[in-house]
Amino acid sequence: MVTIDLSQTEITDANNRIRDCGRDGQDVEIINPDARHNIGVGLVDPITVNVQGSAGYFCGGLSDGAHYEIEHNAGWAVGDNIYSGSVVVGGNAGAIAGVAIRGAEIVVRGNMGSRAGQVMKAGTLCCGGNAAFMAGYMMYGGRIIILGNGAAKVGQDMSAGEIFVGGKIESLGNDTIIVDMEAGERDEIMEFLERYKMSYKGDFTKVVSAGKKLRYANSEPRSRPQPFFVSSNSSNYWNPKVQEDIWIKGEVGRYRIRGYGASKPVPHLNDIAFVKDVTSRQYKSEELQDVNLKTTVGGRYGAKPLSLSMPVMIAPMSFGALSRSVKIALARASRLSGISENTGEGGMLDEQREEADQLIFQCLSGRLGWNVKDMQRADAIEIYISQGAKPGLGGQLMAKKVTPELAAIRGIPQGIDLRSPSRHPDVLGADDLVIKVEEFREATMHKVPLGIKMGAGRVNDDIKIAYKDGFDFVELDGLQGSTGAASTEVLENVGIPTLSAVQEAIDGLQEIDAGDDMDLVMMGGIKDGVDVVKMLALGADCTSVGTSAIIAGGCIACMQCHVGTCPVGIATQDKEHEARYDIDLQSQNMHRYFESLRWQIASITKALGYDDVHKVSRDDLVALTPEAADITGLPLLSEHPVLNRPELGLEVLDRKAG
Amino acid sequence: MTMIKTEFSITAGPDLKDDTRDIHYVPAPCQVACPIGTDAPSYIAYVWEGKNEEALEAINATNPFSAICGRVCDAPCEPACRRADSDGAIAIRNLKRYVLETLGPGYALPPVAVTQEKTVGIVGAGPAGMTAAHDLAEAGYEVHLYEATDRLGGMMFWGIPRFRLPQAAVQQDIDRITGHCPGIKVHLNTALGDRVSLEELKQKHDVVLLSIGAFVGKPMGVPGESAPYVEDGVSFLYRVNAGEKPTLPETVLVIGGGDVAMDACRVAKRLPGVKNVKVIYRRDLDAMPARCEELQGAIDEGIEIVYNTQPVEVIDGNALRCVRTELGEPDEDGRRRPINVEGSEHDIECGMVIAAVGQKTECAELDAAGLMEWDRVKTNLEGMTTGDPRVFAAGDGAFGGSTIVEAMYQGHRAAYYMKAFLEGNNAPLSYRTPYRTRRVPICNDPDWEVNPRVHQQFHGLGQVPIEFPEVESTYSAAEARTEAARCFRCDAETGSADYTVGSRESIFAMARINPNDLDKQTSILEKRLENRDNPFTEEHVATLDDLVFLPANLSRLVIDPYREGCVTATKFGAIQSLKLDIPFTVTGLDDAPSEIRESVAKSIVAHGSAYIGATTLSEDAKWIQVVTTDVDPAADAIVVDAVQAIAAGQISRAQAGQPAGLLVNSGSVEAAVDFALAQSLDFLLLDPTNGLPGLAGELAGAPDISIVHRAVARLRELNREEEVDLVYFGGLRTGTDAAKILALGTIAVTVGASMALALGADISSGTTVFNANLDAAEREERSSNLLQAFTAEASMMARCTGKTNLQNLEPEDMRAITLIVSRAAGVPMAGSLHQH
Repeated sequence: MVTIDLSQTEITDANNRIRDCGRDGQDVEIINPDARHNIGVGLVDPITVNVQGSAGYFCGGLSDGAHYEIEHNAGWAVGDNIYSGSVVVGGNAGAIAGVAIRGAEIVVRGNMGSRAGQVMKAGTLCCGGNAAFMAGYMMYGGRIIILGNGAAKVGQDMSAGEIFVGGKIESLGNDTIIVDMEAGERDEIMEFLERYKMSYKGDFTKVVSAGKKLRYANSEPRSRPQPFFVSSNSSNYWNPKVQEDIWIKGEVGRYRIRGYGASKPVPHLNDIAFVKDVTSRQYKSEELQDVNLKTTVGGRYGAKPLSLSMPVMIAPMSFGALSRSVKIALARASRLSGISENTGEGGMLDEQREEADQLIFQCLSGRLGWNVKDMQRADAIEIYISQGAKPGLGGQLMAKKVTPELAAIRGIPQGIDLRSPSRHPDVLGADDLVIKVEEFREATMHKVPLGIKMGAGRVNDDIKIAYKDGFDFVELDGLQGSTGAASTEVLENVGIPTLSAVQEAIDGLQEIDAGDDMDLVMMGGIKDGVDVVKMLALGADCTSVGTSAIIAGGCIACMQCHVGTCPVGIATQDKEHEARYDIDLQSQNMHRYFESLRWQIASITKALGYDDVHKVSRDDLVALTPEAADITGLPLLSEHPVLNRPELGLEVLDRKAG
Repeated sequence: MTMIKTEFSITAGPDLKDDTRDIHYVPAPCQVACPIGTDAPSYIAYVWEGKNEEALEAINATNPFSAICGRVCDAPCEPACRRADSDGAIAIRNLKRYVLETLGPGYALPPVAVTQEKTVGIVGAGPAGMTAAHDLAEAGYEVHLYEATDRLGGMMFWGIPRFRLPQAAVQQDIDRITGHCPGIKVHLNTALGDRVSLEELKQKHDVVLLSIGAFVGKPMGVPGESAPYVEDGVSFLYRVNAGEKPTLPETVLVIGGGDVAMDACRVAKRLPGVKNVKVIYRRDLDAMPARCEELQGAIDEGIEIVYNTQPVEVIDGNALRCVRTELGEPDEDGRRRPINVEGSEHDIECGMVIAAVGQKTECAELDAAGLMEWDRVKTNLEGMTTGDPRVFAAGDGAFGGSTIVEAMYQGHRAAYYMKAFLEGNNAPLSYRTPYRTRRVPICNDPDWEVNPRVHQQFHGLGQVPIEFPEVESTYSAAEARTEAARCFRCDAETGSADYTVGSRESIFAMARINPNDLDKQTSILEKRLENRDNPFTEEHVATLDDLVFLPANLSRLVIDPYREGCVTATKFGAIQSLKLDIPFTVTGLDDAPSEIRESVAKSIVAHGSAYIGATTLSEDAKWIQVVTTDVDPAADAIVVDAVQAIAAGQISRAQAGQPAGLLVNSGSVEAAVDFALAQSLDFLLLDPTNGLPGLAGELAGAPDISIVHRAVARLRELNREEEVDLVYFGGLRTGTDAAKILALGTIAVTVGASMALALGADISSGTTVFNANLDAAEREERSSNLLQAFTAEASMMARCTGKTNLQNLEPEDMRAITLIVSRAAGVPMAGSLHQH
């Protein structure tokens, strides 16, 4: 037994020592815990940690196999996301005890706070006293045993799992029902209680999901998109696409769903030009050798940054929205081109980890596929707040795509129409987020860069919070960002364009004198090297491409990703359809696309007169439209004091198709 | 403008119709793979629509031999099809056959008159010659076709067996061409050098085309091949197509791996006396030039293919001595050269050898004129010219063996240069296959992603092989439609203004070029540097599309739109008020049929909504009367035209406590606000369409949404925003549109055209016309569904911005993405936060 005195030791040092003890198989006792946060976070060895006092937030969180005994009380989110192992709290626990657990046993001998067991997937959460409101909120599996009373909305919006309440239930949550207990269930509960030396003689009320909400009797008729994205025009205001939308809503009584991003025209990077003709000379590959494109992301607080061969990442896209084959091909292409791949929401695949040299692991509100072991083998971690395609909505995966394999990696029941929660259980504001950031840093020994992914809204405000909450990088996604399924209303109407987003981000950071230590990664409609260089000139540090990479790898842009029967095997979990995808061929295609992107970035940089892409600036750009000029503050070409001379050949800068 | 050097650039003359400058169109891979640029996506889409005549127009525009190609084209489009890698290429060829068979042999095209004085002489009526004849006749020239045999069609008639290409199909195309082009004068049995000389042709015609084909089989070049039981493939097919059905020995060997070999072996298999047919080919399966469908047909008919084997001697006594081969280094055409394996000699017994190892051209007349080089007419591909400035050449006789569609390409090409010559243009722009689109909408079949390729029924030898019945049949109408639905439509616009067909194809191109091919990289970069036309020009109308909601992220807490509630209850009227469950009311059904009105009335009751109109919908449904004559005491609220009310100086209610408002058009906003405040009215119904209670104004186009901002600005100026409610009508297509109008400062909206459309109204005449296509229950469900969907959409927007009550939406929840809408709505620009 090793003793650690938290009054003498910083929590990071303490956790490092606990980890060392774990490796050595030595149990640990913590004295003077003083309700510190993050005690024992990120432990992956089967030792016992005895906390002699009370613990703060996230005690025992993000661990796998360890046992925690907390003599007195525990703060918010005790046992967060534990994979296996146990936590026993001698006193009371705060809100969201056992949040997102995937197989552990959590015992709170006293009372527990609200939303206990939120989005839990498996395991047992047991409370000797009363549970505050919304116990089992949005749980996906496992069981909650409450020996005392359950306050309001027990099991609110649960998808699966069971809640057993010994005392009174103040009210049932949405979409729940009371059912009879099955044979043997009581014996199993009694066996559990006995193991933890809890005595109980009374009966239980069993609460389960009624399974009615978010399930529709009639499905949206499938149809291919009509090319009517120019709706803002008087003559075709009630165009056939508008009429089709209304007709279908009359049939199904709800909003429509599709894949891809905003389809309407919005101000974008192609409303901006370079101030020089960047193709007046063709550079040979050797001439571009000395143009630096190398980009590091995430070094703000000393973690090992991502080291990219150019200012490009692959955007987060989930295994789920995309087939396994596509995730493997993307990972391979990222390695071949020296850039990073991102897991998106669906958890990390072993093949994906093996193929990718640099892999970002994304943490979403539903904590689907989230676990400490994959965190510790990731090259960066990204907390998803929202995305450009559907900010405000959680991930959406139609039942057809929730196969047994997918359900297993995400830890959810198969065949449910999955709609991830809109908010993280443990991030209700900027202050929570600061502590969440610390928990993640503890779980990854402060070695892994930590980013935040946001769909662009009030960017000017949000970016300041992201900066002050201590992120290493921000991945900021404009209105044009794509998805595998979302309400068309949100796709088209929620969020600001990527061009507006980068400007607000730069302005916001300048307003607080943030300097440039937090890396800004821009995404949403980045298609080529032209877009990348323009984005960097506007102030971004890096870019991220999703849709374009998928198109390079065979996507035909039919925008029917949500249907689940992708004709080219990309946005599908159907094995027959997935078999249509050739991993070797398409990973090479994507690799060639990235190499073409690289050549474009280098050529433009060189043509603009620089030896480093990170030296491009706003001085290299000019706006072509009044909107682009207003949004970015760049001079308008037609009013440009220096450029606006006919003999300079303005048409070279303002190239028009046709 | 710098010249764009992509493969899409135009170098052909201005008279070639081409659509490649249309930014909403990129030629599909199938179209690019077709030597003559057939607009396959369009004809496939027409097949789905059941428009076979339009499909034929698309096919025939580049391909006069449509019926023939529908059966025997080597169809390079199909391997190029993007669906080929997924679950099988679209059956582009068979869909063509389907169109031609469906329209039948009687289907004629209107005749084209001869309008030019000059005439053209063409020698040889095969695909190259006849295509050129067709093009020149279409251009108004009289064209004289000189054909050595007694038939038109060349190799298409003489070289392809009837079980693959029935005579009727050849005749169908020839009849259509000659009917369409009466300027084509046919001279059969008129061989060059025999019945007519080159000099005569040059005297009679202003220009001459030599498309004499390659009808002489090449020898194998092995000892003993002069034996009587050795025959070349072309001669063999020729005599069978002339009507002979000779009895052959039991075992027949066919040498070669091309299409002639495949046809010859399959013919032999059907002839009397034959039991075994073997094809001897010197390379492996992958290198075989024959179309895989033809090879499969041969195999399915019981023909044995012997690979990696090469004849070395014809042995007297009915055997062929062969050696085995191995594949060595690639030769000039990229295929690996077969190398004989030492000591592998073996004899294959046979009664007959058919050598299908290539064809050549022989013409003593042209030899004498010095126009031949080896076994071809010496021809310059660039201008299709020969050694004689007035003589052009095309087809197999000029460039060696090719497919029908390649020969047609040469015919088009020759016609282009000959026409330039006839017009006195000595230096025409280089010919390039034109790419056109008919802009046919994408077919909307729900199973387009799922359905595998529909296979044609294969009959093989048939019941009586000697009669050469057709080996396969085309689709039924239903099969054709299913197959046509599978087309990806690589040519068509995507439905995304961001990932347009043009940008998608550029990305595709980036992913498929050699990174070190700098010319291609540069040409793509040039294309990517093109800026689109500004979508927001001065003609751009301010609509709700240019407003966006700001999602809650870190600075606000998002409300889960899937699970958490949003209050929609609405107090309609600032002083006297009507209580509604949702801020949506319905209007525009005063003149609708009673069945429609009854259905909507029920859904209005069910949703706690109200109807705004001159007449009431039902006793139960809340009614806001648009007063036209007398105020109805039964109305739950009344609304009076603002101009009339102001003129009258007051409005009169039927009863005290009846909420009352003004119907306000764009011209009277400020005056109406002032009057309403002075009279303590309850609401202003803002109608920029000037049409209420009718819908014609709404259907006319985008409404002027600035009316809301103007009313709010006036109220704000007076600092009396809470004293009268604003309600809006006009152009609301979604719940999101409504949410934006609510956020601008209104408390409720009314929907007109959207409700009519949900009930199946036809609006093409500019008014709503209802049909009897729905029953009462369906109508009620649909109108109810629309209110439900719109309410859900509006509350989804509210929750995304972090609001739990629709009435709490405010301008600050939005940003403008265009300057015009920023001004019209008084909402700051996203990005700059400038208020315009």
